[in-house]
Amino acid sequence: MSTYIKTQQQLAEEHLLEAAKEFEKCMKCGKCRSVCPVFKEFGNELYVARGKNKLAEKIVSGDLQITDKLEQAINECLNCKTCSANCPAGVSPEHVVLRLRWYITTQKGLHYFKALIFRQLLWRKWPITIGCAVVALAQRLLFGIGPKNPVRHLFPLFGFAKRRNFPQLALRSAQSMYPEVNRSKTGETKMRIGYFTGCAGNLIYTNVAKSVVDILTGYGYEVVIPKKQKCNGTPVMANGDYEGARRLMQHNFDLFRKYDLDAIVVACSSCGMSLKKEIKVFVEDSPELQEFTGKVWDINEFIDKNIEIKPEDLGPLPYKVTYHDPCHMVRGQGIKEQPRNILKQIPGVEFKEMKNADTCCGSAGSYCITHYETSIKINDHKIKDIQDAGVDIVATGCPTCVMHIDDNLAQHHSNEKAKFVIELLADSLRAKGTVIR
Amino acid sequence: MEKAVIDELVTIFGQSNVLTDREDMIAYSYDAAPVEVEPEAVVFPTTTEQVSRLMKLAYRVEVPVTPRGQGSGLSGGSIPLKKGIVLCMDRMTKVIEFDPANRLISVEAGLTTSDIDPIAAEAGLFYPPDPGSVAFSTIGGNVAENAGGLRGLKYGVTKDYVKMLTVVLPQGDIVKLGSKCVKHVAGFNTELMFVGSEGLLGIITEVTLALLPIPKHRESALAIFNTLDDAAQTVSDIIAAGVTPSTMEFMDNATLNAIQNFKDCGLPRDAEAVLLIETDGEEHSAKAEMVIVQSQVEKNNSRDFKIAQSTEERDKLFAGRRVALNALASVRPNLILEDATVKRSVLPEMVRGIIAIAQKYNIQVGIFGHAGDGNLHPTFLIDQKDKEEMARCHKAVDELFQLAIDLDGTISGEHGIGLEKKPYLENQIGAAGIKILQDFKRMFDPKNLLNPGKMFDMPGESA
Repeated sequence: MSTYIKTQQQLAEEHLLEAAKEFEKCMKCGKCRSVCPVFKEFGNELYVARGKNKLAEKIVSGDLQITDKLEQAINECLNCKTCSANCPAGVSPEHVVLRLRWYITTQKGLHYFKALIFRQLLWRKWPITIGCAVVALAQRLLFGIGPKNPVRHLFPLFGFAKRRNFPQLALRSAQSMYPEVNRSKTGETKMRIGYFTGCAGNLIYTNVAKSVVDILTGYGYEVVIPKKQKCNGTPVMANGDYEGARRLMQHNFDLFRKYDLDAIVVACSSCGMSLKKEIKVFVEDSPELQEFTGKVWDINEFIDKNIEIKPEDLGPLPYKVTYHDPCHMVRGQGIKEQPRNILKQIPGVEFKEMKNADTCCGSAGSYCITHYETSIKINDHKIKDIQDAGVDIVATGCPTCVMHIDDNLAQHHSNEKAKFVIELLADSLRAKGTVIR
Repeated sequence: MEKAVIDELVTIFGQSNVLTDREDMIAYSYDAAPVEVEPEAVVFPTTTEQVSRLMKLAYRVEVPVTPRGQGSGLSGGSIPLKKGIVLCMDRMTKVIEFDPANRLISVEAGLTTSDIDPIAAEAGLFYPPDPGSVAFSTIGGNVAENAGGLRGLKYGVTKDYVKMLTVVLPQGDIVKLGSKCVKHVAGFNTELMFVGSEGLLGIITEVTLALLPIPKHRESALAIFNTLDDAAQTVSDIIAAGVTPSTMEFMDNATLNAIQNFKDCGLPRDAEAVLLIETDGEEHSAKAEMVIVQSQVEKNNSRDFKIAQSTEERDKLFAGRRVALNALASVRPNLILEDATVKRSVLPEMVRGIIAIAQKYNIQVGIFGHAGDGNLHPTFLIDQKDKEEMARCHKAVDELFQLAIDLDGTISGEHGIGLEKKPYLENQIGAAGIKILQDFKRMFDPKNLLNPGKMFDMPGESA
């Protein structure tokens, strides 16, 4: 066991101390009011970064106790980092929010339902994998869940809004479809790359996993998919479970280090941010950790930097495409141009920049489960920008963005589809048939 | 606050527009000044009528009311010092009428100031005052504080654009002041009495503003100087040569170094001062003015002078100025941003005086600001947790204000008096000046219920 495990008391103190380091820098200028997507919907100072900083200050000074309203305010945050990206004083309010959520858990314990999911099901993993396969089967038997399907009345039992549209889950997980080691298809092996699929890439968007494996092996890389990889911990830590997230991050860190990898790629914006950056909050700093985080690449970033895609490798795709910047890519990892570069290379694709491409789509992972109505209101602005762009496809690099945008496009009876950049690239390569056959 | 009063507030504003929970009171206890007082209720009007009913209620039950926009003020003007009710105007955001033929726009007071420009731009117009908080302050707040900005030298400040106001007086009467005509002399200039009134005389609910045509062209340049005097002399000489630049921003050596430590913006660490200068108007006139600017800059021993040849180059020149406050904020845990203002002719004395004061009290300071209008932002870099340093900083601020007054300047160019500068106001305007303010206040608000305790004390009160 790592010496990094601390008592609840130590953790509580640490969370408050770390929160204080951030909110003490706040000049209270109010600039966050002009950028916060949640504040735009509520119009109450309590829900903007400045208000949350002040609440945190009151908690630390002992002037305010943990109340339902405080918890509610603290939970109204997308972790979209728009406030921190725009803060003149360099405050990261999302860290104040996360620390407060973790602190509240040290004082009140973790809700039994969250504990079940984060500490049992996600940790053991197989119940999730089997559960998803069962749901996938049910989805197919029910012939898709259209707007009038009576099955919708069951959604609220599982905490989902009745009008929500779900993506089709995969019958077979990506990790079970592929062997652990996928050899290069070119004869040479340029690098040995670990692929962190993420839950969505493994259980829902398996075509993303297929695209990653096909492209990398097709361009001479060996792709290793460690079977024992688990959730990266993002939803766990976002929901207040510091300990649960720490255990998952430590597990993945220890696991991937066993494989002697040259690089680790991810095709999910939040997994990427967590493996590059957030892991440093949970796993004790060491040269090994530095080496690990330095090896992590988002797939778009990896391809743009390392793979020379020749025009003759690509077949045409007849789409007008725009790109939506996931928060955890553009602000979380500073990845902005790379996915656009890839899209612009594809022959036949007409790339059109939409307005407000980098504003949050409101999904924010589990926020759109727990705060569906607000998350849809935030997403409505995104839908309008997509419609105004006049495109067939909105490409992006984050599964929960795809899920949320697709859901709301359907609710608007809009014909655009959300897709991953990497899927479009794989489609183009397949259309030509030289690199991916 | 009594439940009966809260019930009446709910009757006036509706349940969703009245807050009384402790957490909400915390969220409305502060603005951008370092003071906080929790109110007892927060209300959000959507009509002038509601504001009027609130004031009648407040006068009947004698509860203080403090108006607030987005809470971005730097002088504590929206702090509910005597508790009571915070009247938050930020849900009155309608555009009432856009009248391009007369170059006017009428909006509700809670509209964010930067939301005016996209509307005005459709007819090739713009609203010139651009305070640093333009994207997160309300136009009502801008009027109440008479906000300035970067373009003050050429385009003036908020008061130069206010044509008409709808105001709810402290006892609930609704009055419309001013006129949409270019010329009007029917009665006193009462609308201007409310510009800069800091919410003491009435609540502004609607504003009609004058707009100007967007200049067709801008020229931007960066001038680097080895001495403060050369930079300051250049400012005077440019204006003496007949040019009125739209922007003339100044940054001192400490600010330049803070910027370079924060992010490499290509600024020289050993320069004493830089000026960012813009001219605008028709292309030929903006260019001709820039030629004059260049000759004046070079006459004053500038070390380097660059005119931007493209938008990208312009952005590059301005990159440092844009991050100046961020850069200074990163030097120490906290900062105190002041806005003492002097005539541009005494700018070098002011800058040297500020640096001497900072040295005397051993406080780090960075100075940047709007050189053309003498509105400097000496920014003291401090750690609020260090009580001893804070005490020294307060003394430095005291001396800074006295310096501004001694140089025939003002303790506040654009942030207002509020709570932060209240102790210094009499030093500048004298006892007779305070008395006339008190007389005005008493005339409008005999019970002293609207934003009490700001700017000055009423007789018999003390801070």
